[in-house]
Amino acid sequence: MFREFLRFELRYQFRSPLPWLIGLLFGLLALGGMLTDEIQIGGAIGNIHRNAPSVILNYLSIFSVMGLLAAIMLVAQPLLRDADLRTDELFFSAPVSKGSYLWGRALGGAIAALGIYAVIALFMIVGSFMPWLDPKRIGPFMIEPYAWAFGVLVVPNLIFIGAFLCLLAVTTRRLLVVFLGAMALLIAFIVAGALTSDLQYDTIARLIDPFGGRAVGRAMRYWSATQRNTLVPDIDGLLLLNRAIWLGVSAVMLVAAHILFRTHRGGPKRVKRGANAIAAREQAAPVVVIAPVRNVARTFDRTTAIRQFFHQLRFDALSVLKGLPFLILLGFGLINLIAGARLSNRLFGTEAHPVTALMLEALRGSYQFLLALILAYYAGEVIWRERDARLAETTDAAPVPSWVPLLAKTGALFAVILAFMLIGVAASIAYQLSVGYTSLETGLYLRAALLDSVPFALAAVAAVFLQVLSNQKFIGYALFIVVFLMQTVLTAMHFEHNLYTYAGSPTLTYSDMNGFGHVLRPWAWFNTYWSLFAAMLLVIATAFWVRGVARSRRDRWSDALRSLRGPQGALLGTLAIAFVATGSWIFYNTNVVNDYLPTDVVLDRQAHLEKEYRKYKNLPQPRITDVYADVDIYPAERRVEIRGRYQLVNKTAAPIRDLHVTLLPGAELRVPSLESAKLVTDDRQAGYRIYRLAEPLPPGGTMELQFEVERAERGFTNTGMPPSSGGGDVRSPLNANGTFFNSGAMFPHLGYNQAGQIVDRNERRKRGLGDVPRAAKLEDEAARSSMGFEDADWINFETVVSTSADQIALAPGYLQKEWTQGERRYFHYKMDRPMLAFFCYLSARYEVRRGEWHGLPIEIYYDAKHPYNVDRMIEATRKSLDYFTTNFSPYQHRQVRILEFPRYARFAQSFANTIPFSESIGFVADLADPGDIDYVFYVTAHEVAHQWWAHQVFGADVQGQTMIVESLAQYSALMVQEKQYGREHMRRFLKYELDRYLADRGGELIEELPLMRVENQDYIHYRKGSLVFYRLREEIGEDNLNRALAAFLRDKAFQQPPYTTTLEMLDYIRAQTPPEKQRLIDELFARIVLYDTKVTAAKATRRADGKFDVRIDYEAQKVEADGLGKEAPLALDDWMQVGVFARKSGEAEHTERVLYLQPQHITQDKGTIKAVVDAEPYEVGVDPYNKLIDRNPDDNRKRVE
Amino acid sequence: MLSIRNLSKSYGDVQALRDVSLEVPPGMFGLLGPNGAGKSSLMRTIATLQDPDGGSITFDGIDVAADKDRIRRTLGYLPQDFGVYPKVSAQDMLDHFAVLKGYVRRKERAEAVESLLQQVNLWDVRKRKLGTFSGGMRQRFGIAQALLGNPRLVIVDEPTAGLDPEERNRFLNLLAGIGEQVVVILSTHIVEDVADLCSRMAIISRGQVLMSGQPREAIGTLRDRVWSKLVSKTSLAEYQQRFNVLSTRLVGSQPLIHVYSEARPEQGFEPVVAGLEDVYFRQLRVHGAAAHA
Repeated sequence: MFREFLRFELRYQFRSPLPWLIGLLFGLLALGGMLTDEIQIGGAIGNIHRNAPSVILNYLSIFSVMGLLAAIMLVAQPLLRDADLRTDELFFSAPVSKGSYLWGRALGGAIAALGIYAVIALFMIVGSFMPWLDPKRIGPFMIEPYAWAFGVLVVPNLIFIGAFLCLLAVTTRRLLVVFLGAMALLIAFIVAGALTSDLQYDTIARLIDPFGGRAVGRAMRYWSATQRNTLVPDIDGLLLLNRAIWLGVSAVMLVAAHILFRTHRGGPKRVKRGANAIAAREQAAPVVVIAPVRNVARTFDRTTAIRQFFHQLRFDALSVLKGLPFLILLGFGLINLIAGARLSNRLFGTEAHPVTALMLEALRGSYQFLLALILAYYAGEVIWRERDARLAETTDAAPVPSWVPLLAKTGALFAVILAFMLIGVAASIAYQLSVGYTSLETGLYLRAALLDSVPFALAAVAAVFLQVLSNQKFIGYALFIVVFLMQTVLTAMHFEHNLYTYAGSPTLTYSDMNGFGHVLRPWAWFNTYWSLFAAMLLVIATAFWVRGVARSRRDRWSDALRSLRGPQGALLGTLAIAFVATGSWIFYNTNVVNDYLPTDVVLDRQAHLEKEYRKYKNLPQPRITDVYADVDIYPAERRVEIRGRYQLVNKTAAPIRDLHVTLLPGAELRVPSLESAKLVTDDRQAGYRIYRLAEPLPPGGTMELQFEVERAERGFTNTGMPPSSGGGDVRSPLNANGTFFNSGAMFPHLGYNQAGQIVDRNERRKRGLGDVPRAAKLEDEAARSSMGFEDADWINFETVVSTSADQIALAPGYLQKEWTQGERRYFHYKMDRPMLAFFCYLSARYEVRRGEWHGLPIEIYYDAKHPYNVDRMIEATRKSLDYFTTNFSPYQHRQVRILEFPRYARFAQSFANTIPFSESIGFVADLADPGDIDYVFYVTAHEVAHQWWAHQVFGADVQGQTMIVESLAQYSALMVQEKQYGREHMRRFLKYELDRYLADRGGELIEELPLMRVENQDYIHYRKGSLVFYRLREEIGEDNLNRALAAFLRDKAFQQPPYTTTLEMLDYIRAQTPPEKQRLIDELFARIVLYDTKVTAAKATRRADGKFDVRIDYEAQKVEADGLGKEAPLALDDWMQVGVFARKSGEAEHTERVLYLQPQHITQDKGTIKAVVDAEPYEVGVDPYNKLIDRNPDDNRKRVE
Repeated sequence: MLSIRNLSKSYGDVQALRDVSLEVPPGMFGLLGPNGAGKSSLMRTIATLQDPDGGSITFDGIDVAADKDRIRRTLGYLPQDFGVYPKVSAQDMLDHFAVLKGYVRRKERAEAVESLLQQVNLWDVRKRKLGTFSGGMRQRFGIAQALLGNPRLVIVDEPTAGLDPEERNRFLNLLAGIGEQVVVILSTHIVEDVADLCSRMAIISRGQVLMSGQPREAIGTLRDRVWSKLVSKTSLAEYQQRFNVLSTRLVGSQPLIHVYSEARPEQGFEPVVAGLEDVYFRQLRVHGAAAHA
């Protein structure tokens, strides 16, 4: 019997188009991911092959979650089919065992689903053999990862999903509930992922994922490219536990489904009894004469129609708002919102104050996406509500104008959007109040809710239109999905203009400093444009709206076209004219006044710049020695005018004939002092000019270069932001409140600038650019002539900057004079000594908090809404100055200023005596909990440290340069932080650094380098830099290390070319390092060395004298990796700390007491260490504080048995 | 009042109505026909829900196809497959219909809703969700809905299908109470509905009107021409071949046949008083439209 059901089900499934369609869709998606860069699923980037095992696992893992939706159709639907078709009584009245029925059907569906995964795998395999793929990006074919993925992920997940859906299906017998259950599972999965994303929840995150993808992902998290290309994870530890847990859960659900499955119909008995009672009560109803209802005059005019409209709107909106699907999705949205609000702005595990700007981000990121699901679903439900309830004939025959139902239903969807938004706002405010935040900005919330509603309203209209036009609910749904998939595909293919992307508009960002800023205006234009289009859709939909019995397609079209000839046609025409007019105005702004630059065009231009001008990279140019500039900032107009002059010197031994003057595109440049020179090349698009001097500049000769720059944001662009030049520029330098730009973006330079080069290998290959240009080798002596600011060494700097009267403008240097003239406020700044050729300008309405350090002023310029951490910044500055002046060298400036800028960029940056700090990183951090990592303190210390590491010594533009600048700033900040907060605080902080180093090295695009050869790689110079210097400090001592650094500064600070390198710096360090640790210096700086230590057993026995014998069994490994992560074992010869700790069970780690802590010489990969301690031990550890770069840092400690 | 002339309608190859002409005066008008005869098509066309391919319908001087809005203001329609929102209460649902019928002022609407719910005897259960209603209650709710706004044209399509005798009686009693001046068209395939209620009727099959007139007159034409006999199951086929058998039904598991004949067909046949059912089957036989019963 079971076999018969299975056979029947399989035949049924494979004859229906659905499995084939889903298989084809998923297969094409997999193929697309294998073949193109536009579909990025599995993380095949850089050196990771397109068909790497890790990529295959990621793919199949993601598909096995997406398969949830397919499984509803394939597994749950067979179980509900008979209930739907009312054939169930036929089956259950036959002598059929419920087991064969249930499991025959379910297994049939599951086999069909498995078939789909086979198709996906097949498409992936086929894709990897396509001949046009870059052979470097394809590894050898391996069957193992596919088998692994099927065995560990696909099949168990299918069992889990199938069991879950079976259980829902047999208990509820309603497809809608099954669907909602599946959605709930999916959302719970996402929410749980978000909640456990922080490092401290790692274990729980790995275990609670029912699909196992996170456990697999985390198992591969620290893998290098080579490992990702060759290995699959071992099935042990948390991964094994995860799979066991969820297979167990699946088994329980299967058994429950079997037990709860009832073959008789369980009708709603309570209701039936009630109905019978009523029927019985009125058995003897007499014949009645229907008295005419009192005849009231009903008028059928416009007023009536409008009232009918609002009534229908309310009626339909309420039906949605009271509906179970809405309430469930709303509930998930709210949970996700609160989770998002708590977590999204965490840095190092520290939360932020829930300011409204952040709540708005949480609303956008964690809440509103559910509205898209709600609308997609309810558009069909509401439009066809009457039809589905078999009421349409009655309502269609009612004296209601035909436009009323359609528009009222659209209106009802709008009302749902608004209600959803307002509930989100209410929840956000409630959240703020619940955590004691009382600066409520209700007006801002409401404004944002209205603005955010518009794109959803537009989507609702599109859904309504597609429903009406298709006149069939599920075709309408399908069309809606197709339209939005197409938009995604178009965007991926760089068709990015909002003029043809339905409901497209720039992304609004709310900054406390700058509000919605300049993006609001283009946003409003684009939304007006699309609203007009949506209105046209509605008019057309009204014409196609079927009242009464559906007619043939041809009749519908001719009817619709006929009705469009009347007043509806006139309305349509008017809307069309307004639509075209708005579109033209937008086009004028985005494509005529501004350049429309989709990402591929930006890349093309970058490629052009490199192809044409990279050849001049080493062309000798004069160097700038003095900068003077008059800078007029007009914040309201978003315009800046610069009139400046450079003093140039030919420091080379040959005369210089050509001046290569460059400026990032977007600004206009005039060079009055070169008007007599011949303009040989004038490439405005690339911002590259070559002037031939009338008289070559002789060696040692000087000249003055006068220039005028104007940059104005005129009209608006497609993204609402200024066009990107592709380099790492600040996206919006000119703002109504919060202008911030630096000399790289707005000042002319001499010679070719490498910053704009494409680094993505694939994008380079597409444009015929060859390999990524690399930094000069550490040993390249010629390259030591420059710091990377090709056109300057150290400069003298003076500037007069003006802004509007209500703002303060700032630049490096000391304020000489401040005055107001008319509506303008002027500031004259002058630096009293040579400084780096890197300066910035800021202007905003600032509050100022002043502090001091031994009489030296510390000033924080911040937005009035962000007073929280200003004092902490001052404190961090004071402590930093203390430590750095004591241990390194004197501070070269007479002032420290920290300046807030809007959240369009998220970083802090150090200029001479001037530190711009984004509003999104430190100003709103919530540091109330003393246990949290105080990253505001840390970032401030890091930036102040740059006044030494960068602004005193910079290093030559060769490999390792950023170690001198960034790694030492990290080390310096770590020391200040440790003095303030203690060692335990640092341990937690360094755990994040270790995690990010190990995680990010797997995403390396080119080659991982040892620290001393770092080529501007964040994960090396920041993350590994922290770890290496902290370890070095532990090994050779803080005093020795600081002595080395102080000597290095003494000799190299403010030097002229040739500039110093890490080789020189390591000499200073080696000089302070005892001979037995010299090898360690080599391992830390010149090689990539990884450890894996592990405590395998920990035993303690109480002795007669009350002390404890502790026995620690450990394993240890040490490997050296090459640039692609290929590893070779290294012999162990290391001193590692071994510790025994006491703490009360259940208490946090920072409460522990050290019973024993000794360095031990470890030379074997396995061994035992014995210790005697005075108190009862709780935990032991080998390298317990994770001072080594350990690939499994969590198994270094173990509870005592 | 309601005048239907030369109405025709086809769906693709299927001719649903052919050249239908009917005059319907005020009062209860029965439209009798087997399943698929075109009754619902005709009803829907009158109810403005579909346009005919040819022909016209006028009601009280209003051209239905051309002036749908005016007809809708005076129309009450209970379709064959009348559904409700299961989770909405009777009162709320009727209130909703009342707005659609043009009662936009709250007070008048409440009055109309109460009055109708009282009359169809659902006032006590007005707060109950419609999903809990029995078939009969639902149909009574349907008629309340149809009577909103004092319609002068009421169309009721197969309202008694599936109701038990008690519910059916109660429902027909309601229909009978509708005022004399209102045109009520009751479509049904149940002969008794028409016999019990209608002063005029038409029989329609395969899209054509087979006859129209007063039931009493129609029955009169069959006086002394219908005969019945209990036959054995084995001989039934033979009887059907030899005589003009109108209908067969089982009495105590033995077939009782009605035969149309101007004289006693043979020994054993008894004359019976003709009923509307005999008229109905006679019409279908004459036009060759009945399935062999």
